[in-house]
Amino acid sequence: MRQFSATVVSNISLCRDLYRIDFAWDARAVGPAPGQFFTVRVSDSTVPLLRRPFAVSGYASDTRTASAIYQRRGRGTDLLAARQAGERLDVIGPLGNTFPPPKNSQRCFLAAGGIGLGPVLYLARHLVRDGRDISLVFGARTSAGVPAAGTFDGLSPAVCTDDGSQGFPGSAIDYLNTLEPGTFQDTVLYACGPMAMLKEYHAIAATHQCPCYVSIEQVMACGVGACMGCAIRVTTEATYARVCTDGPVFDSGVIVWT
Amino acid sequence: MDLTVTIGNGKLPNPVGVASGTFGYGSEYESLIELSKLGAIYSKAVTLEPRPGNDAPRLVETPSGMLNSIGLANVGVERFLTDKMPFLARQACAVVCNVAGSGEDDYLRVVERLETHPDIFGYEINVSCPNVKHGGLALGTDPVLVERLVRRVRGLTRRPVIVKLTPNVTDITVVARAAENGGGDAISCINSLVGMVIDVGARRPVLPAGCGGLSGPAIRPVGVALTYRVSRAVSIPVIGIGGIMSADDALQYLLAGASAVQIGCATFVDPSIPGRVLSGIADYMTREQIACVQDIRGLLQ
Ligand SMILES: Cc1cc2nc3c(=O)[nH]c(=O)nc-3n(C[C@H](O)[C@H](O)[C@H](O)COP(=O)(O)OP(=O)(O)OC[C@H]3O[C@@H](n4cnc5c(N)ncnc54)[C@H](O)[C@@H]3O)c2cc1C
Ligand SMILES: Cc1cc2nc3c(=O)[nH]c(=O)nc-3n(C[C@H](O)[C@H](O)[C@H](O)COP(=O)(O)O)c2cc1C
Ligand code: FES
Repeated sequence: MRQFSATVVSNISLCRDLYRIDFAWDARAVGPAPGQFFTVRVSDSTVPLLRRPFAVSGYASDTRTASAIYQRRGRGTDLLAARQAGERLDVIGPLGNTFPPPKNSQRCFLAAGGIGLGPVLYLARHLVRDGRDISLVFGARTSAGVPAAGTFDGLSPAVCTDDGSQGFPGSAIDYLNTLEPGTFQDTVLYACGPMAMLKEYHAIAATHQCPCYVSIEQVMACGVGACMGCAIRVTTEATYARVCTDGPVFDSGVIVWT
Repeated sequence: MDLTVTIGNGKLPNPVGVASGTFGYGSEYESLIELSKLGAIYSKAVTLEPRPGNDAPRLVETPSGMLNSIGLANVGVERFLTDKMPFLARQACAVVCNVAGSGEDDYLRVVERLETHPDIFGYEINVSCPNVKHGGLALGTDPVLVERLVRRVRGLTRRPVIVKLTPNVTDITVVARAAENGGGDAISCINSLVGMVIDVGARRPVLPAGCGGLSGPAIRPVGVALTYRVSRAVSIPVIGIGGIMSADDALQYLLAGASAVQIGCATFVDPSIPGRVLSGIADYMTREQIACVQDIRGLLQ
């Protein structure tokens, strides 16, 4: 991990709810892998104070350009959305662990909800490049949260919207429940999205006895494992794990789902 | 230029340390900060037994600050010695162990165990954690208990004993004097302030524990004022803490009467801040022709 001043390459709106920022990754820092994240100091003042974490949604090693897909939710992401190409960004990364690769014969089923799209998309592209057989499902609240097809790089996900305004009417989980049970045979599941979605995804994995890896979000202060602030409850002896360094990717069986 | 700070029978290379709980056990920041440039690393609180800490969420941001409710999550003194000290001992900077407990005996037994390690500079006795039910804050608001605890710790060690005070008292100078009378070598001033944020929609506090500890730039004027008062009430050195983001902020503490400072949350915001605070203090001394950092204390008009 390194702290570096990155140049913004582009910062565009993908749809009403989502944006994508591309920036130059530091040449001395290790390139980020699927599942990893970085933090940004979004403000030069003390409001908002803390750095904001974002998952890497793509990384081109030839141009050393990294990207993240984000939603404007408050002061910090408003400031991020205001950054123009050519401006500087105070970045620390790469942070956290990575999605474990599937075993030899395994198929991969990937699910993303809302702002969980970034890390899942990066993983999907990685797996396809490795010649893996993948299925991708993406859920949003409304069509305003669904980026144009080009964002998916020909991955053709099953798109679901809670209000039925685009694609499958219902959540990504509702969609999964319509699939033949055989779909999940010898399959590894990956997901990132709201906790409620991940909990149901874990239940599906448990039913079909599939390994399942989820990327979790938690409010963070340091992002490097020093403050113990990003704890989540786990089933292991430690009781709590740090999302920033023990995660953000966890075996869903380790999480205490509430 | 003399940047050293004398505390008890020990000497810190420079006045800029990193505050307990904001710097883990040092190794977490190894690839981001040159640890050898730090005046001291104050460890995460060490307790007798490992503590899992409080329920999540443990953090919430506030205007120019943050509330934390970590609950002294730490590996316990035995694992601290076997897993964390080897890394810390290899660093050039001083290692101060922040010690916490639920009762007097806990503190004493932790110090006893830590005495067995040769590479510990001293102890920061945390009688001020707002995030645990017993010990911590309750202890730190009672001057009689503080004096007795410090005296008993004093009896166990020749190393510097620093007492970290809470701002959540009517008169902090009474507790500071108690720490001095007990044989404390320095006062750390201040720990975080008790605060609460309520989620109006959910009609409940954001932190499951209800209250948390407020820190960051929002508390700086409180820290400076209490440093000013404490440094006039005791004759031992005061270490100023609270909301330091820049060299100017640190200089406010030094002018108010502090001999050294600690940087807390600012390291989260930008890990280059501790280094920049130190170089900024050195620049100020060059500019103002001050030979010795300890002379800054006397310059307040
Ligand atoms: C490992 C990790 C990866 C993430 N990846 C992405 C991503 O790829 N794209 C994206 O849009 N967002 C991502 N997030 C969430 C993102 O960090 C928050 O949306 C952002 O910090 C909100 O900042 P704000 O100032 O705009 O909003 P605030 O005003 O601070 O908060 C707005 C809302 O966001 C919630 N929030 C604040 N901080 C966090 C946080 N750290 N994690 C989760 N929720 C938070 C608050 O509880 C509140 O409901 C990620 C978070 C983590 C921990
Ligand atoms: C996440 C976090 C954890 C902390 N843990 C401890 C601790 O274990 N022991 C202690 O004495 N102080 C602890 N503190 C208090 C800090 O050491 C410091 O006194 C306080 O944060 C004020 O300084 P700041 O405004 O520069 O952060 C903690 C603070 C934070 C933010
Ligand atoms: S955010 Fe500090 S330990 Fe994870």
